[in-house]
Amino acid sequence: MKAFAYVNPATEKEAVAALKIDGIAMPLGGGQDLLARMKDYIDSPDRIVNVKGLDATVTATPDGGLKIGSAVKIVDLAENAQVAALYPAVVAAAGEVGTPQIRNQGTVAGNINQRPRCWYFRNEEFVCYKKGGSRCFAVNGENQYHAIFGNDGPSHIVHPSSLAVPFVAYGARFRVVGPNGEREVPAAEYFTMPTLQNVLKENVLDDEELLTHVILPAPGNVKHGHYEVRYKQSHDWPLAFATVVLMMSAANGTTGANGTSGNTIRSARVVLGAVAPVPWRSRPAEEALAGKPLSEATAALAGEAAVSEAKPMSGNVYKVQIAKTAVKRAVMRAAGIKTV
Amino acid sequence: MAKYSWPEKPTLLGTPVKRLDGPDKVTGRARYTHDINRPGMIYGKIVRSPYPHAKVVSIDLSAAEKAPGVKATLAYMKPGDEVHYQGDPVAAVAADTEERARDAARLVRVRYDALPQVSSEAQAMAADGPKWSTTQPNTRAGQRAETGDLEAGFRQAGHIVEQTYSTHVITHVCLETHGAVCEWDGDKLTAWVSTQGVHQCAQGFAQALGIPQTNVRVITQYMGGGFGSKFAPDSQGIICAKLAKAAKAPVKLMLDRKEEHLDTGNRPSAFAKIRAGVSSGGKLTAFDGQSWGTGGAGAGSGFPLPYLYQFPNRRRVHTDVYINAGQQRAMRAPGHPQGCFLTEILMDELADRVKMDPVEFRIKNAPPLAPNAQWIKYFQEGAKRFGWDKRHATGDPTPGPIKTGMGVSAHLWGGAGRGSQAHVDLMSDGSVVVKCGTQDIGTGTRTLVAIVAAETFGLPVSAVKPEIGDTIYPFSGGSGGSTTAASVTPAIRTTSVNALDQLFAKVAPTLGVTPDQLAAEGGRVFVRGNNSKGLSWKDACKLIGTEPISVDGKWEDGLSSSGTSGVQFAEAEVDIETGVVRVKRILAMQDCGLIVDKLTAESQAYGGVIAAINFALFEDRILDRVTGQMVNPNMEWYLLAGMSDVPKIDIVLNNMPERGVIGIGEPPTVSTASAIANAVRNATGATIRSLPLHPHKVLAALEQERAGGTN
Ligand SMILES: Cc1cc2nc3c(=O)[nH]c(=O)nc-3n(C[C@H](O)[C@H](O)[C@H](O)COP(=O)(O)OP(=O)(O)OC[C@H]3O[C@@H](n4cnc5c(N)ncnc54)[C@H](O)[C@@H]3O)c2cc1C
Ligand code: SF4
Repeated sequence: MKAFAYVNPATEKEAVAALKIDGIAMPLGGGQDLLARMKDYIDSPDRIVNVKGLDATVTATPDGGLKIGSAVKIVDLAENAQVAALYPAVVAAAGEVGTPQIRNQGTVAGNINQRPRCWYFRNEEFVCYKKGGSRCFAVNGENQYHAIFGNDGPSHIVHPSSLAVPFVAYGARFRVVGPNGEREVPAAEYFTMPTLQNVLKENVLDDEELLTHVILPAPGNVKHGHYEVRYKQSHDWPLAFATVVLMMSAANGTTGANGTSGNTIRSARVVLGAVAPVPWRSRPAEEALAGKPLSEATAALAGEAAVSEAKPMSGNVYKVQIAKTAVKRAVMRAAGIKTV
Repeated sequence: MAKYSWPEKPTLLGTPVKRLDGPDKVTGRARYTHDINRPGMIYGKIVRSPYPHAKVVSIDLSAAEKAPGVKATLAYMKPGDEVHYQGDPVAAVAADTEERARDAARLVRVRYDALPQVSSEAQAMAADGPKWSTTQPNTRAGQRAETGDLEAGFRQAGHIVEQTYSTHVITHVCLETHGAVCEWDGDKLTAWVSTQGVHQCAQGFAQALGIPQTNVRVITQYMGGGFGSKFAPDSQGIICAKLAKAAKAPVKLMLDRKEEHLDTGNRPSAFAKIRAGVSSGGKLTAFDGQSWGTGGAGAGSGFPLPYLYQFPNRRRVHTDVYINAGQQRAMRAPGHPQGCFLTEILMDELADRVKMDPVEFRIKNAPPLAPNAQWIKYFQEGAKRFGWDKRHATGDPTPGPIKTGMGVSAHLWGGAGRGSQAHVDLMSDGSVVVKCGTQDIGTGTRTLVAIVAAETFGLPVSAVKPEIGDTIYPFSGGSGGSTTAASVTPAIRTTSVNALDQLFAKVAPTLGVTPDQLAAEGGRVFVRGNNSKGLSWKDACKLIGTEPISVDGKWEDGLSSSGTSGVQFAEAEVDIETGVVRVKRILAMQDCGLIVDKLTAESQAYGGVIAAINFALFEDRILDRVTGQMVNPNMEWYLLAGMSDVPKIDIVLNNMPERGVIGIGEPPTVSTASAIANAVRNATGATIRSLPLHPHKVLAALEQERAGGTN
């Protein structure tokens, strides 16, 4: 690994200032991603700026939402009672990330900003678009874990962050600070679909900017479901997963013919993970849910609708079925129906 | 040779004895090769070919030589040489820190002329495909055997199954990677090596470096897994020794995970196009198999086929296929998991044709009961223990996405003993040292050495000091082929018996009897039949005098034998909406002759089963089809079971003391994968004829089943 300088700023301001150098500077959270990239010579920064000293708290906002500091550890998010009460899908996603060691060390901002896990990206030999090259090896190569949506290229990664998916589903906003002050970006607009111009990045963050907070709005009268399909039960990535947030119509208490609560879904947010270069919001699934009673049949319809526009690659057709199941089961969980 | 036998009423043999080095291992006191640090030690790093196939044009070491901290460089290949796989070693550097060695290695400028590469069996076998080597053909005729009358066999068949089956390439993934620490003193080399054979390694170093073998000392006190891939110094050991010589400093050269996947061996793939017949009464009649597989760049890929069951008329023709990938090495029961899978899936398909229960069908076609052939017994007993009567016919009728099924499979192995030497010292203070140049590769050999000596001397295990893992001790063979226990324990037994005889000779006059009237048990030496007439072990040893009893001995026939059998049952769950397979239970019925230590024997079976779950579900060496480079040389996308992926495992060991000691390291890993695959078939009704059972294959098979059947 290339020798590097280490800076330990005390404040946001100092941290932002430390990122501005002649050369490459990178923020360091838990290091679960960055250090591995450095050891594998995927990135060789001249300076790393420790940002674990930034805000590591979860606080209530005046409008009934929560503000999550960038340095909050994934484990602390997974075990936070306030988050569990308001945004159970965030807790579910956090609790399944990687391994206990990764959750103990990894931070919220590091998780959101981690780079792709595409195996071509992670192996030095393959100089693909994301490393300044002029091809995507996945297209004609081994793409069983690549995207099934948003496959217009040039890159076909799946966005690696588990936390990003529920954050988008709950309509979070990301607070960003940089040399010119701060700004707030809706989570859904933070992540970028690849183009030849922006393919070296996965989001709108500038090199000299930091993600400092995730601001979650008050959830309202919602039901939530999160479901991840994993092949292995530990130390693995999900094959596909989904968060659904269902805005329920106000009328409560009627009981349907099948004995379930007769609540009707007013509108829905359906976001899929591990299926596209960004957390993938599925409008067809949202439309399939709107106005329907919350039931297993509706869940199945949402699953079908979610994959109606899938465009799998040569080796990942099977992920379509898995994504469909993830959406169906996430809706079932929101309905309180038992899933496997 | 009645002189040597195992005790009829052992007090230690066959009991659960905790491994002696367990506390050292779990507290981190145990020092593996990775942990060896020598004064003034520097670090080596190998430069490897990124290309699967290329000609080396030039190697320029000058920039690396000038890099900070660099103490030595060397070219391992020369211009004009051909590299045959990604990871083929080309050059090396040594520097004062590991990081600097890595940085410097990247400054070695190697120019290659890339050549077309072969990255799959199909490519290699295509008529006008690329060639893996500029001098050798892509395929070579392999095993060939024919017995009986094939045509008559197929005429007798009421049903014929014709299908293609396959298994994939997996790597050994030793938790401790390969490597060494080498230190020279003049022309004498001391090497700490992560190896399964200290004496073999010494021989390898001597030959490669042109020094007498007596000048080489190899030490392996603790070893983090080899599974058949760690017998020789290999390129990394030789390079390490050369760098140490050049730098005049001890060098540590341990491979990283990527190098480990690329260049330290693998289990070859296996394919077979099989036509097999069964009579309407359920007797196997004929087997015709064309098989092939790849062991990588120029290495063979043979395996037994058909496996275990009795096909009276059979033919098998094998082709070795070469591709540009790291060479295969022996891997835990080489060949058997492949032959077993290819045959056992077929067996369930045949059983379905004649509508027989798979256990009953196997009993009908298994070799007859014999000491080394206990299958029929294990099928019967195992079925009872496992609750096989609750197994439904093919295809779980339960509604919902989760389908459950059971499968069964059987295996065999050798595990014979062979030449091994030992040395025993009995001191006048009663202390006992047993020396043997074997190595404990994690299997518990150190503990077995102590158990056998302690049993012989009638002492507690803690009273014996076992010294192993060093070429200064008497010769013992490499730990491969499940031969270690059967080689080492007889040597310890004979040597200890001889040492005890000498002690008896010293003690007998004092007790006024002849030596042959003495026995040693319970920490005492006494007159047989008159237990009170005797001495404590300590007092007996006081009679040894100033010169210790010092005895050399060796393995003798009669204390070990060969041939084990095993049967395994699996229960698996399949989520038919995701294709995810989960193993719920495994039952392993296994023998290994006389059990020396119940705990370490069971531990071998647990490890074997878990490794086979990885083979069945997770592991896969994936080469990029376009560039031929491995895309998953890590432990992230090269999947391995974590704790939560390991099911309930029941081990039932059949102690057969009359057979003597036989190895158990390899057999328990053979049939697990086939049993799991058969359980998946039983659960879903869809047959998957290739490993691993990845969700994409499971979903595809289910799809095909719905569209008209996989049979
Ligand atoms: C086997 C395995 C399985 C895994 N499974 C999952 C999984 O299921 N789901 C999942 O989500 N992840 C998974 N991970 C990835 C892991 O969760 C992430 O690597 C980790 O969350 C990163 O957090 P960190 O704080 O350690 O990031 P770091 O490595 O410190 O940083 C990651 C990136 O973010 C940048 N960064 C850090 N902080 C900031 C900031 N404040 N502002 C701007 N940029 C910043 C860094 O510069 C770096 O580029 C897995 C990893 C492995 C190895
Ligand atoms: S998917 Fe993206 S990261 Fe992977 S090879 Fe293609 S361009 Fe590179």
